[in-house]
Amino acid sequence: MGDKNKADTSLNPKQRSRREFLESAGTTAALASAVPVLGISTAQAQSDIESTAAKTRIQLTVNGSRHSVDVEDRWTLVEVLRDQLDLTGTKIGCDRSECGACTVIMNGKPVYSCSQLAVWADGAQVTTVEGLASGGQLSPVQQAFVENNGPQCGFCTPGQLMTATALLSNNATPNADEVKQALVGNLCRCSNYNAIVEAVVMAGERSGSAV
Amino acid sequence: MSEAIHIGLDPLNTIGNATARVDAVERVTGEAKYSRDFKLPGMLYAQILRSPHPHARIRSIDTSAAEALPGVRAVITGDNASVVWGAGSVSGGRQYNDPTKDATLHRRYIFNNPVRFVGDSVAAVAAIDRHTAEEALALIKVDYEELPFVLEPEAALEPGAPQVWPDGNLCPDFRNNFEPMVSNLGDVEAGFAEADKIYEERYETSFIHNAQMEPRAALAHWEADKLTLYSPTQGISNCRHDTARDLGLQDHQVRIICNYMGGGFGNKNQNQDADLVAATLSKQAGAPVMLEFSRRDDWLGVHGRWPTVQYYKIGAKNDGTVTAIQMRGYSGMGPYRKNSGGISGMDVYACPNRLRSISPVYTNRTTSGNFRAPSEPHGFYGVESMMDEVAYKLGVDPVEFTLKNMRRPTDDQPFTNYSLDEVITTGAEQFDWASRRKTTPGSDEGPIKRGSGFSFMMFRAGVGTSSAIVRVDAQRQYTLFVGVTDIGPGAKTTMGMIAAEELGVPLDQVEVVAGDTDRCPYSVGESGSRTTIQTGYAVMQAAKDLNQQIADSGMPTGSDVLIASATPNPSTDGKTRQCFGAHFVEVEVDTRIGTTRIVKYTTVHESGRIINPTTARDQIRGATLQGIGQALHEDLLYDPASGQPLTTGYYRARHLTHLDIPEIDVTFIEVDDGYGPFGAKTAGEAGIILAPAAMANAISNAIGVRMTSLPISRDKILEAMA
Amino acid sequence: MKAFTNINVSSIDEAVSAATQASSNGQSVAFSGGGTDLLQQLKDGTDTSDVVINLRNVDGAKEISSASGTTRIGGLITLDELSNSGLNDVLTQAAASVGTPQIRNVATLSGNVTQRPWCWYYRNGFNCYKAGGDECFSVTGENQQHAIYGGGPSYIVHPSDLAPALAALGASFIVAGPDGERNVNANDFFVMPSQDPARENSLASGELLVGVSLPTPAANSVSHYHKIMDREAWTHAEVSVAAVLTMSGEIVESASIVLGGVATVPWKLTAVESYLVGRQLSADVVTMAGQMAIAGARPLAKNAHKVPMTSAAVERTLLALANG
Repeated sequence: MGDKNKADTSLNPKQRSRREFLESAGTTAALASAVPVLGISTAQAQSDIESTAAKTRIQLTVNGSRHSVDVEDRWTLVEVLRDQLDLTGTKIGCDRSECGACTVIMNGKPVYSCSQLAVWADGAQVTTVEGLASGGQLSPVQQAFVENNGPQCGFCTPGQLMTATALLSNNATPNADEVKQALVGNLCRCSNYNAIVEAVVMAGERSGSAV
Repeated sequence: MSEAIHIGLDPLNTIGNATARVDAVERVTGEAKYSRDFKLPGMLYAQILRSPHPHARIRSIDTSAAEALPGVRAVITGDNASVVWGAGSVSGGRQYNDPTKDATLHRRYIFNNPVRFVGDSVAAVAAIDRHTAEEALALIKVDYEELPFVLEPEAALEPGAPQVWPDGNLCPDFRNNFEPMVSNLGDVEAGFAEADKIYEERYETSFIHNAQMEPRAALAHWEADKLTLYSPTQGISNCRHDTARDLGLQDHQVRIICNYMGGGFGNKNQNQDADLVAATLSKQAGAPVMLEFSRRDDWLGVHGRWPTVQYYKIGAKNDGTVTAIQMRGYSGMGPYRKNSGGISGMDVYACPNRLRSISPVYTNRTTSGNFRAPSEPHGFYGVESMMDEVAYKLGVDPVEFTLKNMRRPTDDQPFTNYSLDEVITTGAEQFDWASRRKTTPGSDEGPIKRGSGFSFMMFRAGVGTSSAIVRVDAQRQYTLFVGVTDIGPGAKTTMGMIAAEELGVPLDQVEVVAGDTDRCPYSVGESGSRTTIQTGYAVMQAAKDLNQQIADSGMPTGSDVLIASATPNPSTDGKTRQCFGAHFVEVEVDTRIGTTRIVKYTTVHESGRIINPTTARDQIRGATLQGIGQALHEDLLYDPASGQPLTTGYYRARHLTHLDIPEIDVTFIEVDDGYGPFGAKTAGEAGIILAPAAMANAISNAIGVRMTSLPISRDKILEAMA
Repeated sequence: MKAFTNINVSSIDEAVSAATQASSNGQSVAFSGGGTDLLQQLKDGTDTSDVVINLRNVDGAKEISSASGTTRIGGLITLDELSNSGLNDVLTQAAASVGTPQIRNVATLSGNVTQRPWCWYYRNGFNCYKAGGDECFSVTGENQQHAIYGGGPSYIVHPSDLAPALAALGASFIVAGPDGERNVNANDFFVMPSQDPARENSLASGELLVGVSLPTPAANSVSHYHKIMDREAWTHAEVSVAAVLTMSGEIVESASIVLGGVATVPWKLTAVESYLVGRQLSADVVTMAGQMAIAGARPLAKNAHKVPMTSAAVERTLLALANG
């Protein structure tokens, strides 16, 4: 019978070297991926083919950076984050507040970004999944997700992480029931709920008050 | 952190050790790019106009107002874009078979006339932004002539039923014959004659949408006559081939890119009409086109598990021996037959007299297709509810009944290995089956009643072909090229671990390159529980070959590399190869309000050697939970009068939330049967097969009434108690 | 989504005049508190408003204040704030039972009380009474989730959790409009389909709910909100019970019991209330109360299960209060 419970090797060596790369590259690392990047920055790509609908200029602080964006009234916050600011980590799963994939932290609270008009979020402080790692270091809950198989397909993962991050900043060491209550607004169809809850509890146990 | 229990094998150097996904960092930082996350210069956005009618002939379509809307760059309909979707409807449901597709009677196109279900595609628009595209849809004028429609498979076979296709509603088989799928073994009449008792019952199961979190999308981009598609697919090779075929191209003219995809569970195989619509719009507009499905588009326009009706007749002796099993089944396929419509489960019993007849039937509901173990959970629910009922009526413990009647190796059909006894008895002991089940169903006093149920299975773990390429450079960095996309189970990591084990190096010396047909060789596709077995075996063989090259000529030097490629076609020497499983669950039913809660859920699986304990554990837990959702909640309700779907989406279908989730105990009995990569079998579909049957048996044990209709919602429980 | 104009306002007066202005321009108007449900309807096309008036930045309409025996709750208080407010249990529990934390972080009391029905015909775009049409498709169709009380000609169930709780607390509903503020009691605020099947409340065009006013609870008052859902969260009530009792030792002095999830308006169980006065909450009394609760139920073809669920829910709510 083997010992499968080797917590110290659960971060495999490849991940360790990946983390080191993150650390050395700093917060704005443009990380290599296996897919050739064909796109160019949004502003250049779209300037010649924008619609002429009326727009309002809003201010958003996202992951600590200030942005000025011209938006149509009907654009949702998630559209602006993804399409205008190129922050595609936040996902659209249903666009109807039924799944939680689009969860971001807005003015300190987790909300469904598909159901906030951008014009309602004028002046808001927003944190997305891209803003969780800091100084090349994964946050404790990101780290716990890496170790305990938090993402299966990974599509609900950013939303789960944002809600979990908000939870841990209010309740540093939640138990499993408290995690489920807090994250109930995030569905996972892979149904990886057990691993996600375990990871959040683990993150709390490890870091105490640090988020 | 909770670990599964592993019994039987020790971990190897890499294989068998809990391992984090090789791409976990990308997934938790938002760097992972899914199909809809890409943006190309000049990219247009597309939307599809869908039929509001369950069945209608299109007299005419006027797209002039849509074309005139500023910002619209292309509009296509069946009039100017007649593109066949080969995998969208195949005789016999043989989605992998090109000759069958060529001969298919009921061909499906990207736009069809008549439209045959609410949601059937009618037209598509590409515009400078998605809101403009959406507005353009509203400007398309379609003149429909409404036709009668039919929603239920049995009704669709009655004389005088509305015809979904001119030649009737029974789906033709792969030879285009209009016959049910029949399997006839032994002599059931003789079996019934020798029985002491005969039992009959009708079961029904609902449509279950795959409901993967990532809605369908497709980004198409042409450079001269080469098409690049960013498509969320479970199989880049199949997607490429099918797309090339449907567009009249050669395989090498199509490139499929998918490095991350948000689940599919079987509805992102082959290609989808979204790929073809995006490609056609892109060609017409001369620009990249991003087609985005809304959640409702996905619910109606893709597919879910076929709903079934199953009639069973079982003959048994008083001592519990089953003498005959007969099943007549109907599967509602929607108006196009993408897949088999199968209803499996009978064949886990040894009884030599088994007659099965399944009629896959066309209906005017949304299309049915593969969802994780496509033929199994509903079929196992039907037959194992039936057998559970027979056992209790004969006064036999269902576990004893099963051990007596389950299929075992024979001289005619040996197995590579057989673990079902150990799986069942281990589970029964861990769960404390003897104490938890009610020997008299429904015997708890008071309105809160507990009971336990059990289900068992064997499931195919056969070998087959796939490809892999391994390369090493002078720095001893290995690169593994495999055509996987990693739909959730962790295929990139599993393949990397197999390579590392065979190469004798740590995992971090192996880079896994996946998800791009320009770079990766053929892979069978992540479906049907085949990737670990088939692609994993190819990885192992390629690594062996590379080791041999290194042994023969030494490590490369300078800029040189060594490359090994393998496309093995192994066999199991005439033996059948199966994985085995058993689930035990205790429930508590509040019979005054019809709520079911899970008290304890125990799973035991033998899936050969487990490559990665962490991802395997969560395959079982996740699939089991999907099966629980099927048992208790999920359905797609249609309004009978209008043929309109009423309960699309997560809210309406009541998908399980964090607060609905029980603990699930997982035990793996590990065996290396000498086949597959290091003896690995499959774990991806195993968990879902057993959950609906176990849940239904537990609820029936608790309330003393057999529940013959899934989902077992509160209104059905209250009706049973009335 | 269709194009619309968003107007950010910072006061109720501004909101009302913006609405009046838009209407006089022939535009249809929607007020938006959290906006979660409104956006859903705009995306689905079951709401076609030309103008959305965003109330998120409005001051002075989200506070809780108490004076001379009444507590006023501003309508723009979020459900999260309300659930943590320390007010009556029935109200905080009802607020906590809505949706999910993400929804409760933005959704408002006003929005919850005035949300449109969740009937699957209405929400799927059928041209029913609620959409301005002239039939109810649930009558001969799929009515598993529809009303067993107060139905006809429409059979929707009132979708709000706060509404039965507020009704049980004797709340009055504070409405602001072009003619100023007025107080409306629950009976007059909620509208039965027999009065007007197109609406669920009596807000006129250009009016909005800006708060509620509750009598400050008596010292011997206990309350509870019991909600049965088809999964553990994120779902409207299949049956809910909002109960407020004042107790004299173990004897019920007064009772206020209102059902949700089963009726076209918050459904007050006046016969049960009278029955309980002067009685102890013994098992027999509680069982009788449950039976009396369903005496007037009129199930449709497919929602008979709501009847035993209702009697069970009433019993269990009373038992929860009896056991403290």
